[in-house]
Amino acid sequence: MRFRIVAIAALALAASSAASRAADPRYPDWPCTQAKVPEVSLAAVWAGPPLDDVQDKWKDNAKVGALVSKLAARKTPLDDAEKSVKEFLASSASDKTANAKLLFAGLFDTLNAQRSSVMNGLERVTRKQREAADRIRDDTIELQRLQDATPRDDSKVDALSNQLIWETRIFEDRRKVVRFVCEVPTAIDQRLFALGRVIQQEME
Amino acid sequence: MQVEMSIVMRRSRCRDGAPPLPLAGEGWGEGISATKIPQEERALSRIASHDAIRPPPQAGEVKTARGRTLRMLGTALPVALALVAAPAHAFIAYVSNEKSNTVTVIDTDSWTVTKTIKVGQRPRGIDFTRDGKFVMVAVGDDDTIQVIDAKTQGIVDTLPSGPDPELFAQDAAGKVLYVANENDNTVTVIDLEKRARIGDIQVGVEPEGMTISPDGKTLINTSETTNMAHFIDTNSRQIVANVLVDARPRFAEFKHDSSELWVSSEIGGTVSIIDPKKHEVIGKVTFEIPGLRREAIQPVGIGMTKDDKTAFIALGPANRIAVVDTATRKVTKYLLVGQRVWHMAFTPDEKYLLTTNGVSNDVSVIDVAAQKVIKTIQVGELPWGIAIAP
Repeated sequence: MRFRIVAIAALALAASSAASRAADPRYPDWPCTQAKVPEVSLAAVWAGPPLDDVQDKWKDNAKVGALVSKLAARKTPLDDAEKSVKEFLASSASDKTANAKLLFAGLFDTLNAQRSSVMNGLERVTRKQREAADRIRDDTIELQRLQDATPRDDSKVDALSNQLIWETRIFEDRRKVVRFVCEVPTAIDQRLFALGRVIQQEME
Repeated sequence: MQVEMSIVMRRSRCRDGAPPLPLAGEGWGEGISATKIPQEERALSRIASHDAIRPPPQAGEVKTARGRTLRMLGTALPVALALVAAPAHAFIAYVSNEKSNTVTVIDTDSWTVTKTIKVGQRPRGIDFTRDGKFVMVAVGDDDTIQVIDAKTQGIVDTLPSGPDPELFAQDAAGKVLYVANENDNTVTVIDLEKRARIGDIQVGVEPEGMTISPDGKTLINTSETTNMAHFIDTNSRQIVANVLVDARPRFAEFKHDSSELWVSSEIGGTVSIIDPKKHEVIGKVTFEIPGLRREAIQPVGIGMTKDDKTAFIALGPANRIAVVDTATRKVTKYLLVGQRVWHMAFTPDEKYLLTTNGVSNDVSVIDVAAQKVIKTIQVGELPWGIAIAP
């Protein structure tokens, strides 16, 4: 039992030190192998007319606002989202260009914000993982001390062993989820680009 | 958005009553009682658990879309094959997908995917044999080049490259193949008829771009780390000149009249124009896109029209193809294609140019005369190279 716990703890610590080795010194808390790009620049996804005159105006247009929410949600399949864009712009007639600009401005703001919140979450979790690794290290040392103590308090040893198993398991689990979540910023980039491309095609 | 959120909140509330058992893939918020900012944690766990149910989000979404395409193809395939058999103007394009370890086959008449071929690991460089009978694809992580029969669209053989082959070039007769092996700083020479290795050439660190002069006498290899274009005499197999270019040269392309060699530098953000006789840089193409940071402009693939008047240059994460007037060496137009555009190929009639877009997992079709993007085709994950049947 004792060996197992120590082994698990060692594994967790090895993992945490690997995770803390940030590739980009500017972002020490960034846990992903994917490079951190803090913001999508407008020019990377949009070659249409300037959006300077649109700014936050999309928020005042209820129809556009609702559509932005629907299209930005990743549960909406991309095919359906693209279809909705086409339908919306087809029914816009003379306001087509204005509506297209409003819609893209809304998607750009919303998806960029979504991206930021995911990335902040990832960095926050990295910091928590570091704390968790420290705790596991301390508890492991404490457990060894309890096990070697004479007389030995078995109930304390059991309690701490259990705690250590949970801590390690939670740590491992978070680590796996981080790997999934690391894919999310790219998924959002893809969505923003794909929707922007459809909007621009419909404008032509 | 609102609805999605409330459902998850309800779900997590149910679980709050249960003992803190962190289930696989749901271990952020719910299982951890010491959470200091439960609201924020939940927001993140929504993303996490939502996506953890179906594996990685990106892969999941793509798979759904592709799954549908594939199912449609089940019925469309016989029809497509009939079309291929008929003497139509349709060409067949093969695209290597670096991440999904597949090659996508596209029919350029219907612009649809007609087949997805499973290949080795990390397929990148891809080209047809000169007779159009076979497609060769470098599968870097398997340290070999696989040969696909264009008729049966199945793998029939492998070629003996060195470790981690990335790109390759063949002579005009289609008899000799030169392979850049990224991992051991060599170029492997292969006899294509015998499918046997006949030699190795030592080159710079991380050899990458490969091309042969139209007369077949000079092989060009660019090395990523030493920032050079090596000129290799194909007879003696010796390096005869090294030309320094900007950081991380990725791709080299001759003008059809042999008067110039164009070399793209991914990090330098330029294309160097080299006089292949004097071995000197005689000009540079630079790029500027308002609103984009310089480092987002990373030139890689180059395509030159047969009249040598127009060059198309893929700009990676700038998501654009630059159209360059080769006389003035200036960009005349930028075309927004897909995310991280990398390589390209013309249809033999030069009506269309197809580009591979690594991050958006698609291929863009450019009408060459109109200089306009007319179509986007979803392919596998991380499309890298493309070859079109001669």
